[in-house]
Amino acid sequence: MELEERARDSADNCIACTSCVAVCPVTKANPDYRGPKLVGPAHNRMHFSDESDYEDSLKLCSNCKNCDITCPNGVSVATLNMLERAKYYKAHPEKHTQADQMLSHNFQMADMLKSIPFGRSCANLGMSIGEAMGMMGAMGIAPQRKSPRFATKYFRELYKEIKQPEGLTKEVLFFPGCFIDVNDPEVGVAFVKVMNANGYKVLMDDRFKCCGSPLVVGGYLDEARSHADSNVAVINEYAAKNIPVIACCTSCSLMLKAEYTELFAQEEMAQAAKNVYDAFEFLTILADQGELKKVQVSSDKKFIYHAPCHLRAQGMGMPAVDLLKEIGVNIDSADAGCCGMSGSYGFHKENYETSMKIGSELFDKINASGAHKVVCDCGTCREQIKHGTNAKTTHPIQVLAKAYEQ
Amino acid sequence: MVKDKATVVVVGGGATGVGILRDLSMRGIDALLIEKLDMVNGASSRYHGLLHSGARYAVRDQEAAKECIEENTILRRIGKSCVEAISGMFVQVEGDDPDFVDPWVKGCAESGIKTREMSKEEALRLEPNLSRKLVRAFEVPDGAIDGFRMSWQNVLSAARYGGRYKTYTELIKINVEGGAVKSITVRDNVTKEEYDIECEILVNAAGPWAGKVAQMAGLDCSVSPSKGTLIAFNQRISNRVVNRLRKPSNGDIFVPHGSITILGTSSITIPDPEDTSTSWDEVEELMKTGEGVFEHLRDYRILRVFAGSRPLYVPKGADGGRNASRGFVTLDHEKEDGLKGMMTICGGKFTTYRLMAEKFCDVLAPKLGNTAKCRTAEEDLVPAVSEADKKAARQYFPSYGVNLAATRLGTDKFPEVVKTLKENPETREVLCECENVTMAEVMRIAQEPTSHSVADVRRRTRLGMGTCQGNYCAIRSAAIANKLFKDKLEGCGDSLSDMKNFLQARWKGITPVMAGKTLREAEMTRGMYEVLFNVNGGRR
Repeated sequence: MELEERARDSADNCIACTSCVAVCPVTKANPDYRGPKLVGPAHNRMHFSDESDYEDSLKLCSNCKNCDITCPNGVSVATLNMLERAKYYKAHPEKHTQADQMLSHNFQMADMLKSIPFGRSCANLGMSIGEAMGMMGAMGIAPQRKSPRFATKYFRELYKEIKQPEGLTKEVLFFPGCFIDVNDPEVGVAFVKVMNANGYKVLMDDRFKCCGSPLVVGGYLDEARSHADSNVAVINEYAAKNIPVIACCTSCSLMLKAEYTELFAQEEMAQAAKNVYDAFEFLTILADQGELKKVQVSSDKKFIYHAPCHLRAQGMGMPAVDLLKEIGVNIDSADAGCCGMSGSYGFHKENYETSMKIGSELFDKINASGAHKVVCDCGTCREQIKHGTNAKTTHPIQVLAKAYEQ
Repeated sequence: MVKDKATVVVVGGGATGVGILRDLSMRGIDALLIEKLDMVNGASSRYHGLLHSGARYAVRDQEAAKECIEENTILRRIGKSCVEAISGMFVQVEGDDPDFVDPWVKGCAESGIKTREMSKEEALRLEPNLSRKLVRAFEVPDGAIDGFRMSWQNVLSAARYGGRYKTYTELIKINVEGGAVKSITVRDNVTKEEYDIECEILVNAAGPWAGKVAQMAGLDCSVSPSKGTLIAFNQRISNRVVNRLRKPSNGDIFVPHGSITILGTSSITIPDPEDTSTSWDEVEELMKTGEGVFEHLRDYRILRVFAGSRPLYVPKGADGGRNASRGFVTLDHEKEDGLKGMMTICGGKFTTYRLMAEKFCDVLAPKLGNTAKCRTAEEDLVPAVSEADKKAARQYFPSYGVNLAATRLGTDKFPEVVKTLKENPETREVLCECENVTMAEVMRIAQEPTSHSVADVRRRTRLGMGTCQGNYCAIRSAAIANKLFKDKLEGCGDSLSDMKNFLQARWKGITPVMAGKTLREAEMTRGMYEVLFNVNGGRR
């Protein structure tokens, strides 16, 4: 069943207060961007005037969701922008760049490399050579950046090798997401450890696809819809068995929890959303019920935490940093807004400068903090932090898993 | 004191008056139009903006239906810069009288109005917000027409043939000598100066005010002002005009009009045409009916509510209101009342304004010995800005702004605005972000001799007519007004009171619908202007 036309409805909720423009990190860094209000809700009303016209600065939105966070009327401003962008690319498919294609379809590349012997090593070598020879720029990818390397074993492969303890009665289904699966599988391994320690068996389901977030920002909305439909069907299947779905990537969880419904307005998506949790959101619920494994950390090694925008957009505070503090980890939030990466946004050559400008406040705070590691739930935020500061980074679940090992 | 003269003076700057001014001017007759306020301030802008196909009248009044479809066709051709060439739908929903359909289809066919029945699936695909209780749907050639632009384009067309116009010029006395109108006394409502204008024929085209004008000559003309209340929604709910397929009644028509949708109307006979007040009850009645067509209507945001008075002509002893004829009447007071040099035109519909003028001038012109034929259907109201000029201008305008500005400004002012935008990048600033109006356009319109206030600029640019209803553009345009209206404002106050008047006019339409999303917006306005700027509190 179709919900009401949510996006339309939410454009009507805009009172043009301009708060979103005031907090938009892109508007601040790049005056060419006309701001979330104008590009989304305001222009939604104006299409009648000239179907062939379009807002040029629409491509500058990073979908970081700070507009949604600040909106006093609950307008999904960034989603409206993404719907606009999708409309534009539907009418102008030839405007898609090679970088759009690649960055939105990393999951395809990852699957393909897995099927080729030594595919991943060769691809990684290829990337090193490509970066050294300046070939990334030619493809529209920021040449200054080092692309995340493919893990020699994806999480889906590592998972099969993990021996989970016998006799665990409670189960959760893990939604690894592309970055953890193919680039940073150790986060997934840490997740399994933490869940096992709390009496949960971690399940995987091969039918899960990329959440679709990179497709949405690339303007490939129809593909994103097919991913959404298939993921939602899986989630609801597990919901029927009372098995919650948990993600460690905050962009994936935001997609599953909110963006599907905002974009596609399907009842079953709203239903599925209720069964999806961010890992630390879930662990906090356990803690509140007195069911979380007790542990106390003695080391006073200093950490600094960066809250991803897509975590803040979920409106649940910062469960990771709260929980880690609770167990004695010396950690403080950097409280420095957006890192500027916003998924694949900062990888685009034309966004590089904007991306680094947005991140500069965070970089400065990290550099001045004296912390030995930066903790962050989001994989691409961690890439940006490494690039902007040379700091070491980790996912909070890895910090917790380590605490459990002591 | 006689200060001016014209062969014909037309009283009233609404659709009827501007149509006559254009018609007379094109026949080579020296004509001057006077309007007590700004052009198009009465019923001609306080209506749906519907370009009737005539289908609404196909059962009850086929003569009106035929006139509508003919004029609809003509206006689509000559009025490309003010007509939105969309189509329309008549929809029947569950509970509507099924027996109304056959006579309606027959009536349309007999009136020359093409109808096409479409499947429920097609109707819902074309207009997905339509009620799922839809039973039958027909396509008709309804369109939308912008009352402000249409009227100004008629005036500008007339001006090319020597026609003249004076706004803020109010008729206060008709001077009769020896059984004939010799002159009129008017007051300049900006300078308050009073003076006489000599004329051979005085045309009373004052719409709902026609009775009052007739009284000044001691004549009786029974106009029954009938108030119609309309609701403007924040966006287009449909891309076609949507009519309820049933016996015409209140709240039957939705017209997508530029960035908004207008729902109306009611029909209440009122004593005073100045009464454009609206109430929650009227809104509620319209919403209740409207929900039949768009079932989620209450989820859409209401921008404002407004009302206008139809100038219904009521022959003695007849009914007013919804049953009064939408036809028009030409009264030659020489024949009717023995007063030479005065004629009244009364009643009629916006859609047929050109035909009304033609028929009226066919009576008037021979009185002056003029036998020229009406040419108003042959020539475009205004030449259209070329695609090449629009394309070149695109780089300076906000997106979705070029077409709108080009049709508003026309071939003379559009290039000037583009030049300003090009030479002075600061003027590319979008003053009205809801309706995409640039600073350059506001400055250009402010320089027009007929612009005396920001409200005058609003009517020609749509400044302040979108989502935020003036929140941001009021303060921005006040700054410009302070610069540009300095001399003019001496007559009517300073830029602060101009800004307050501008906002007050917005408030008038918002207060009857102060609930939900509209209330949130209103609270922000109040917070900004009353709390932050303290516009009402500061005393010197």
